[in-house]
Amino acid sequence: MHRSYYWLITALSLPAFVWLIPTIWMVSLSFQPNEVLARTTSTTAFGLIPLPFTTENYAALFSFGQTPMWFLNSAIVALGMTLGVLAVSTTAGYALARLEFPFKRAIMVLCLVGLMVPEQAVFIPLYTMFADLGWHNSYHALILPRMAVPIGVFLMMQFFRAIPRDIEEAARIDGVGWLQIFWYIMLPLARPAMMTLAILTFLYAWNDYLWPLVSAREPERFTITLGLASIQSNFAQSEGLGRVMASGVIASLPVVILFLMFQRYVVRAMTAGGTKG
Amino acid sequence: MKHLLIGTALGAMAVTGVSAQEVSLGRFFGACEDAGTDTTTSTGEACIIQSIINAADAELDGITVNTLPTDWGNYYDQIIAAYAGGEPPDIHVMHRHRVPQFAGLGALAELSGDLEAAGIDVSDWAPAALDAVSYNGGIYGVPMDFHANLWHVNMEIMAEAGLVNDDGTPILPSSPAELMEHAAMVEAATGHDYLAADFAQFPIGVRLVLSLMWQQGENIFTDDGTATIDTQAARNAVTTITQLFDAGHANPQLNYADSQQAFLNGEAAILVNGTWVVDFYNAEAANPDVALSDYYVADFPTLFAEGATWADSHMWAIPASVQRDDPETYAAALQVLAFINEHNIDWARTGHMAVRNSVLASEDYAGLPHRDEYTGTADIARDTPAAENYGAIQDVLNRELQAIWLTGKSIDDALSDAELEVQDLLDG
Amino acid sequence: MLRDKWRKGQGLSQPQAAAVLLFPFLAVYAAFLIYPFFMGVWISLHDWNLLAVAFNPGAKEFIGTENYVRTLWGRNIEWGLFASPVMQTVGVLGIGLAFLGYRQGRLTRATALAIGIAGALFVLLPGFYPGEDGRWYDRRFWPTVGNTILFVGLAVPGVTITALILAAALDGETRAKAILRTIFFLSQVLSVTVVTLIWQIMFSPRQGLIANVTEALGGSPIVWLTDQQFAMAAIVITTVWWSLGIAMILFLAGIQDISKDIYEAAAIDDARGIKAFWYITLPNLKRTITLVVVLQIILHFQVFGQSHLMTQGGPNDSTQVLVRYIYQTAFRDSELGKASAMAVFLFVIMGAFSLVQFVVGREED
Repeated sequence: MHRSYYWLITALSLPAFVWLIPTIWMVSLSFQPNEVLARTTSTTAFGLIPLPFTTENYAALFSFGQTPMWFLNSAIVALGMTLGVLAVSTTAGYALARLEFPFKRAIMVLCLVGLMVPEQAVFIPLYTMFADLGWHNSYHALILPRMAVPIGVFLMMQFFRAIPRDIEEAARIDGVGWLQIFWYIMLPLARPAMMTLAILTFLYAWNDYLWPLVSAREPERFTITLGLASIQSNFAQSEGLGRVMASGVIASLPVVILFLMFQRYVVRAMTAGGTKG
Repeated sequence: MKHLLIGTALGAMAVTGVSAQEVSLGRFFGACEDAGTDTTTSTGEACIIQSIINAADAELDGITVNTLPTDWGNYYDQIIAAYAGGEPPDIHVMHRHRVPQFAGLGALAELSGDLEAAGIDVSDWAPAALDAVSYNGGIYGVPMDFHANLWHVNMEIMAEAGLVNDDGTPILPSSPAELMEHAAMVEAATGHDYLAADFAQFPIGVRLVLSLMWQQGENIFTDDGTATIDTQAARNAVTTITQLFDAGHANPQLNYADSQQAFLNGEAAILVNGTWVVDFYNAEAANPDVALSDYYVADFPTLFAEGATWADSHMWAIPASVQRDDPETYAAALQVLAFINEHNIDWARTGHMAVRNSVLASEDYAGLPHRDEYTGTADIARDTPAAENYGAIQDVLNRELQAIWLTGKSIDDALSDAELEVQDLLDG
Repeated sequence: MLRDKWRKGQGLSQPQAAAVLLFPFLAVYAAFLIYPFFMGVWISLHDWNLLAVAFNPGAKEFIGTENYVRTLWGRNIEWGLFASPVMQTVGVLGIGLAFLGYRQGRLTRATALAIGIAGALFVLLPGFYPGEDGRWYDRRFWPTVGNTILFVGLAVPGVTITALILAAALDGETRAKAILRTIFFLSQVLSVTVVTLIWQIMFSPRQGLIANVTEALGGSPIVWLTDQQFAMAAIVITTVWWSLGIAMILFLAGIQDISKDIYEAAAIDDARGIKAFWYITLPNLKRTITLVVVLQIILHFQVFGQSHLMTQGGPNDSTQVLVRYIYQTAFRDSELGKASAMAVFLFVIMGAFSLVQFVVGREED
């Protein structure tokens, strides 16, 4: 057992290292001077070791770059979307899981159908709609469409269904209203599921590209994903490879840290979203 | 940190105090975040234009200019989306070949009545510049340059191959056959490619083929909207280029950045690229770390009957909605245009040709590096043909030409396919 | 105090409470998904130029299904069983495989059905070709669909097989395995623009790490992104690197659901390692594999960023994919009607796969 185990780990370490190389390379390039990178990207160990070393790319980024602003926008949009999705999904999920009311089946089928509509099938009408309303270039334009995706409702519904009914029934006998049961009893119980949904939504929001590409036009409303796209097609011309890579690192840091901190929840989120979505 | 916050707050108060008129500005050319406000020392399109914009922002009283960064690839998509969304930028740059599309819809403000009051002297514009911004008798923009394809030459390689005249100018081919001879001489003497260009990404290959068709007196479509791509002239133009690939004198797989890098690394005698990089290459040639050291700029040589090279114009336009609904912003936008017009000489430093007679005649202009080497370009410059959906037409041509040199599609098939598709686009 | 609060809402009946709780979601759902969806269908029935309509709202014209005809159909289109032998043979093989697999109980009904339908489409669709003097009205559409399918056909097996092997090898509670799992998962959280930024330069023939290593080893570098043979491969490699994580996690969850007793029983018969993987892990993961495959198909059919940012659809349209074509048709060519027709087409395909996923999910329950 033990020998084969160490063999396995050793055998997998090489592919794991290869897997990491692109990321290491990005980080390493971001710490090298642009003048050097313009000539060659493989100064030391194919560029995987940042020698010659400099932090000027990061300094430049934070002194006059727009990256910090885009970063902030991404944070606002991602947090806004996360809170929004949590609010509508927990309420609707609870109602569908536990309450009896007319047209319940019809509403569930309607939500189910919505799962089949990909973002790309509605982005054109959404575009014209938001244009008519004059809503483009705003945070809510970036946030609202994702709140309408029913996957969160299904996640929460699944969760609420799994909670034993006795808790609720006891409260009902005590004369507690439905909204109160939801707010004071069910929501606190739902924390792990909410965490899962929040992480799923946050990752999606942070990485979304197509919708911000058509909706956000002013740099004040660019998300980091969009900002990065706008500078990467120009790297050969002006900005310098090192600084573009530094932007990439900055754009990735929060999600990587978030992932490393909440790895367990992320894994659970993926599993839940995958099998039930 | 605390100081920074206070500073920002004070700054915000100052700005709101004088209620500055904000002008949003859309452009391509790439980002230059630390351009500063010195318009006379910046290098390269991105930094020169941004320094002019920053200077306008700083020097024009009561006006702040807010640059919207847009990458090249999506620029026109986003401008169209912005117009459709009813919130176009207050000023934006565009190419003259897009004027029919935008002005035809009534998207652009007609400026002729307001230019003089804003301090823009239309009579100072070169006739071709006025022509570039005119549409159906109206003026729909302020021209900024003429730009054209040039041959950027590495004289060191040319000298080794014996392709230099006694006066120090390069010997350039005058026929497709001679092109091959020169290429073979370069190969024999140095082992390097003769010619490099972006044949794989941006439509520089399209512009090359267009030039070579014009040199034979032909075009890709007629004025009455008939595509003429499946023709002998097009075949001649394409084979002029493919013969270089077939003989290994050029590499069709290089994109913009790679072809430029190949030229700067001294791996190709000629780079076909626009006027916009002259100052950049000039600066690079002065850098001892860069292999290119003896840099020369030449007019696009005439390989067929008449001289012709692809050309276009950058111009600045204001949306009709701004002129109609928002007089204050409109006045401010005109001032910014006047400022850019004033700095025509700075923009010409990129290598672009100026549009104002007074600048063209000035000593400063004549003294710009390499300027005397491509004076013939103005006479042979030809415009892309005007069509409402030229963007899509250019895409078709770029795709089919790339199919020829990147994927081995036969020239006959590619040209007949291109003709069919362009005809579809012309028929709308 | 708390009691008072509780009492206050007691008056709400179940339907009333449900209405209050459902309202926020249903409102955004109706406004930003249902309504836009039907509006999309409506737009697809019009000749609708984005710019022209912006300046003159009356500039749209109802043209019925013409956008669909202009996109999907052509002049003098004929059908033949041997019009595209390779694709159609693959289709026939697919149908046979589905049938046999189902009969022998190796495939679940839904999987067999999905493979069968896909096979039938492979026989049917490539069979159409323009006859004498005929032509497709849109000559780019079907090749674009073909590229998208090719991308899916390469990326999905790539991701699935790699993820499956990694999951089987990395199942376990040790620290080393946890670290390795984290490493393989990490790239999943990066955004598409960061991923394309890294790989665009990785693949560059001059600045790229791959080219530099190739040259150091004495080879001549491949021009990945502008060579027709390699451009799609480059995008697929990027995608596998990027999106392996979710599949791996799903497989890990599936493997953990397999009872440990089975493995122990097998170990007595000396079935360990690769043998155990083949005879125990794989058969027990059938449903998970189906789910992962369907999820990946849905996900990768919507590919946009990789193509848009890395190759701009080139060279010669060989990496042009459906969503990018929709985006271009709408925002470069301003042809909203036609773009919407394509979006509806995309919805139909995605919807079909979602249905399969739904059915599979129910079988699992």
